Amino acid sequence: MADSEQEFLEYVQSGGQVETDDWMPDEYRARLRKFIEMHGNSELMGVLPEREWILRAPTLQRKLALTAKVQDEVGHAQLIYRVVEDLGKPREQCLDDLISGKSKFHNVFHYPTKTWGDVGVIAWLVDAAAIISQKALLKCSYAPYARIMKKICWEESFHILHGRDVILTLMLGTEEQRELVQEALNRWWGPLMQFHGNPIPPDEDPMYQWRIKSQGNDEARQQFLDGYVPQIWELGLTVPDPELRKDEETGRWHYTEPDWDELMSVVTGHGPKTEDRLDLRRKARESSAWIRSVVLAEAA
Amino acid sequence: MVSPVLSERAQLLVAIADDELILGWRDSEWTGIAPFLEEDVAFSSIAQNEVGHARALYELAARDLDTTADALAFDRKPEEYRCAQLVELRLPEWERTIARHYLYEQADAERLERLKTSDDEEVAGLAAKIDREEAYHRLHAEMWFERLKDEPRFTAALEELRPLAAAVNDPSLRNGHTPELAEIWEQMTEVRRSVPGATW
Repeated sequence: MADSEQEFLEYVQSGGQVETDDWMPDEYRARLRKFIEMHGNSELMGVLPEREWILRAPTLQRKLALTAKVQDEVGHAQLIYRVVEDLGKPREQCLDDLISGKSKFHNVFHYPTKTWGDVGVIAWLVDAAAIISQKALLKCSYAPYARIMKKICWEESFHILHGRDVILTLMLGTEEQRELVQEALNRWWGPLMQFHGNPIPPDEDPMYQWRIKSQGNDEARQQFLDGYVPQIWELGLTVPDPELRKDEETGRWHYTEPDWDELMSVVTGHGPKTEDRLDLRRKARESSAWIRSVVLAEAA
Repeated sequence: MVSPVLSERAQLLVAIADDELILGWRDSEWTGIAPFLEEDVAFSSIAQNEVGHARALYELAARDLDTTADALAFDRKPEEYRCAQLVELRLPEWERTIARHYLYEQADAERLERLKTSDDEEVAGLAAKIDREEAYHRLHAEMWFERLKDEPRFTAALEELRPLAAAVNDPSLRNGHTPELAEIWEQMTEVRRSVPGATW
């Protein structure tokens, strides 16, 4: 490792932050860009599972809240791609790589949304899992990314409230409505447990070493379980994992080992809805290509 | 359930609310797939405004009719809606969506001008409030009109849809619905109908 690289490493590990024009090692820049691009992709792909339910929202209030939530996600993608752009990759290229399957997006957005129960589980628990990762990015060693995360975390916290309200209303409703929630939770639990990634020790995780992330994967998962399992139980729902329990002595949760093969297969583009969703985006992008060329020609 | 015999004021309010509701629903079909991320955000905002206007109008009508805004928005049969055919159409092509957006905003501006001078203070006040947001929709529609006005696909869409815009301001032209209204109704009421009478 070159001296300058060693110095950089020590700098970020002692809490230092870098700006766009500062020198950074090539490896750092490459990992950072890939990570942030995947985040942008995930915000954008995260729109698709919920968009179908914007059109089915059962009250005017839910329609407005869900439209606003999904609009926030697109706004986040917009902000995040701008950070990627500053690191040298234009937005158009990110979008092309996304639809060609060259770049990745989070596992949870590769799954179908089958009922209105999914709308609540996604907004409450998927967003809760996401906010734990995102809060840890507030301390990211790359300052421009850390700064936009403030706005993003603030908005995500409203999504969780919306999600919890959808779930609470269903749980206070009819037997049929309660079943919608339990059934959705059963389907989402596996992907939720995989969400924060395999339990690689932080000292061996290059993303932690460079302080792009400020916590290890299993720590994030423990935080999620600690924050949400008690609430899930309190609502009268059952978590579909017989091994799940908190060790009161160590304060850590025990759980059935998440299916890491499934995670790997899903994020490499083999999820149940991967193809459909990329295809929707591909078609939308193709059919509107002429509009972009009209507008861009005008701007030139 | 809504009585088929609506007061004149309720009829007026429900017709406008239906236009705004169905248009807002159609606009939100662009969420996630608009030609630019900026337009995705813009169309989501417009959709929220339109649905918000629909809610305010239904609320006023609901008071006269002793029902709720949600019941008016969701619990009628498709044939009971009073919207103009222009807003019902599913327009998956951007140029046709923009053509409708432009035509509707123009017609709606005319309607709001008239309502703002209504003797009914509640109606006039609500129209003024709605118009403050619609002013931004008009700017947005005009910006796109300028961008696309020389594109044959866009001018063809304007010609295709222009005849339908007249019904926005002429209730006598609101006769019958397109098959697309029944389709969107099926979708928008699907969850609500799945457990009748439930709270969502």
